Amino acid sequence: MLEVDGLAKRYGEVLALRDLSVRVDEGECLVLLGRNGAGKTTALRCMAGVLLPSAGNVKVDGIDAADDPAAVRALVGLMPEVPGLYERMSARSYLDHFGAIYDLEPSLRTRRIGELLELFELADAGDRWLGTYSKGMRQKVALIRATLHRPRLVLADEPTSALDPDSARRAWNYLKDLQKDGCALVICTHSMEEAENLAGDIGIMSAGRALAVGSIVELRRRSGLKTHQEVRELPSLQDIYLAIVGNGAAEHELAETRSA
Amino acid sequence: MVALTLAIPLASGSGVRALAAFGGGTAVVNRLALVGAFFVVFIPASFSLVLALESFVGERERTTLEVLLSTPLREAEIYAGKVAAVLAVSLTLCYGGLLVYCLVTFPGLGYFPLAILLALALSTICQVAAMVAGAVIISLNARTMRAANVMASFIILPMSIALQAEAALILIGRAEYLWAFALLMLVVAVVFLRMGFNGFSREALLARDVGLRNPWRRAVNAVRGSFEGRPGLLRLVWMRRTPMLIAAAGFPIGAVAGYLAGATNVIPANVVRPVLTSLVRTTNASGAIDEALLIFSHNVLAFVLVAALAILTAGLSGFLLTFAPGFILGFAAALTSWTFALSGIVPNGFVEIPAAIIAGGLAIQIGAAAIHMDPSGGWTARVLAAFADYVRALRWLVPALAVASVLEVLLG
Ligand SMILES: Nc1ncnc2c1ncn2[C@@H]1O[C@H](COP(=O)(O)OP(=O)(O)O)[C@@H](O)[C@H]1O
Ligand SMILES: [Mg+2]
Repeated sequence: MLEVDGLAKRYGEVLALRDLSVRVDEGECLVLLGRNGAGKTTALRCMAGVLLPSAGNVKVDGIDAADDPAAVRALVGLMPEVPGLYERMSARSYLDHFGAIYDLEPSLRTRRIGELLELFELADAGDRWLGTYSKGMRQKVALIRATLHRPRLVLADEPTSALDPDSARRAWNYLKDLQKDGCALVICTHSMEEAENLAGDIGIMSAGRALAVGSIVELRRRSGLKTHQEVRELPSLQDIYLAIVGNGAAEHELAETRSA
Repeated sequence: MVALTLAIPLASGSGVRALAAFGGGTAVVNRLALVGAFFVVFIPASFSLVLALESFVGERERTTLEVLLSTPLREAEIYAGKVAAVLAVSLTLCYGGLLVYCLVTFPGLGYFPLAILLALALSTICQVAAMVAGAVIISLNARTMRAANVMASFIILPMSIALQAEAALILIGRAEYLWAFALLMLVVAVVFLRMGFNGFSREALLARDVGLRNPWRRAVNAVRGSFEGRPGLLRLVWMRRTPMLIAAAGFPIGAVAGYLAGATNVIPANVVRPVLTSLVRTTNASGAIDEALLIFSHNVLAFVLVAALAILTAGLSGFLLTFAPGFILGFAAALTSWTFALSGIVPNGFVEIPAAIIAGGLAIQIGAAAIHMDPSGGWTARVLAAFADYVRALRWLVPALAVASVLEVLLG
């Protein structure tokens, strides 16, 4: 579904992304982890056909993003870091507006918008101006917007960072349902819980490079971490992540707090 | 906004009527009726500036831009959509206002200047389009709304001059002048729309580096960089042969136009005569040095002004640098004879004209760089490079002008 090969992106003098190669098949989910400024958002923008690669290439469903970015954008649903809603529109009319941009039939979009607002407990607020929404509500609307047209590839940048645990779980289940329908997912996140919940493959990025890509099991092996002797549990994803990013000190502290 | 567009025409329309009812002179009332129409149209037109300035940088500040850019819409569709939306709103307000105003003012006034009102309506479209297109370019390139507002003075100043011209044309009351004004605005609008469209890309909006440190040092470096690795004069003339040819053509075209103008008396001779006398002036031996200095400083000033105006006039000033002397020459020839006119520019013309062609060509290049935008950016670098070429060429051109002025005084 998504093939990224040797992707690099330069902003003026900043090389935000260098040599990223990943592959996500239908119904699979890739989770990108990495510190702030690691290049996750940039990677998503390139995968979404919004920015053109400075080097390497991005293919979605066999279409090269450099050749036909508009076709790629039509296949993709991008949920950016900030919801970016039009404040003086109701959720319904906002979603309807974007549904129309993606050429959805009016009756179909009304039905889907109704269902999704219901699913995310926004049905009652659906006719209020988005400017009156809380941060979490906005994030839900942004998630609905990005997936309304049933994209083949969903790219979500920290999709649940503002959601309460219950809503986050709801959002994950929704994303997993999309996955079952054959949608490919790429999620950037700082939430290890989210990563463990959704991930097939995990990519750990640092300074524009992918340090490691693989399933949790593979990464655990690569990280060299052993099962915690004291509590006899597998090293958590958090531990694996910190070990790979190379923050040994923090890892010790975490291990101690856990055993305490 | 809607309330304003209704209130203003109602108020000004009633004002004009009241004046008519209480015995204002017909001529005054008629003029006032026209000026009122102008204001009624102009005020909503100025809203369009704000709306257009908002268009992209406003979405950027409200963080809605990335969502818009992630849709399948093509660049052309987004750009056209923004421009069309702003135009639709402001033109609706303009014409709504004008309609209300006409309904309030003219019935029973015994005066209805249809031709002028139509010309006003047309020139309004063109003017609003020019303003909107210019503001959208600013909106595309500004990083913050505040920066956009500051940059908007680059539109407000020329537009206020254009508006004053338009107001004067309306007072003159001749529709054909307004048509010509509309045509000029149309050209400006097309140039701006093309620039904005060519410079519009997702890349330019999202990926251009922001928040640069040391803006001052960067500016100095950019200027210094633009002087580096530029070609020498001869190679430059070859590189810029197209604009050079255009500038060279300016001279004969000007001569023909001047001759026709002189032969047909389009321009009264007394307007041109002072210029002519300075052209064919006899030398005064006692003040030879003063006179040479005067001619020299005159010409250098012209060369500097031409470069300074090249950006604003899209290079037209470069063309005028050869066209204007050609015109004067042709005009003089029409009044006297070609032999006499040509003798006025020999021998200094052999130096001055090539210098003017080179300077004109380089100024045209500056203008061309100024109206060319590219999705990958680099506008500033290209304009600076064109300026640098001009400045470097002056090292040759200024001495040439000095030689020419000496020749003119000694041998002319
Ligand atoms: N428009 C831009 N201009 C210049 N540098 C940018 C721009 N956007 C991002 N960057 C830089 O690119 C790098 C990667 O940024 P980003 O992809 O947003 O990281 P992440 O999402 O992983 O936090 C950072 O160093 C950031 O400062
Ligand atoms: Mg990010």
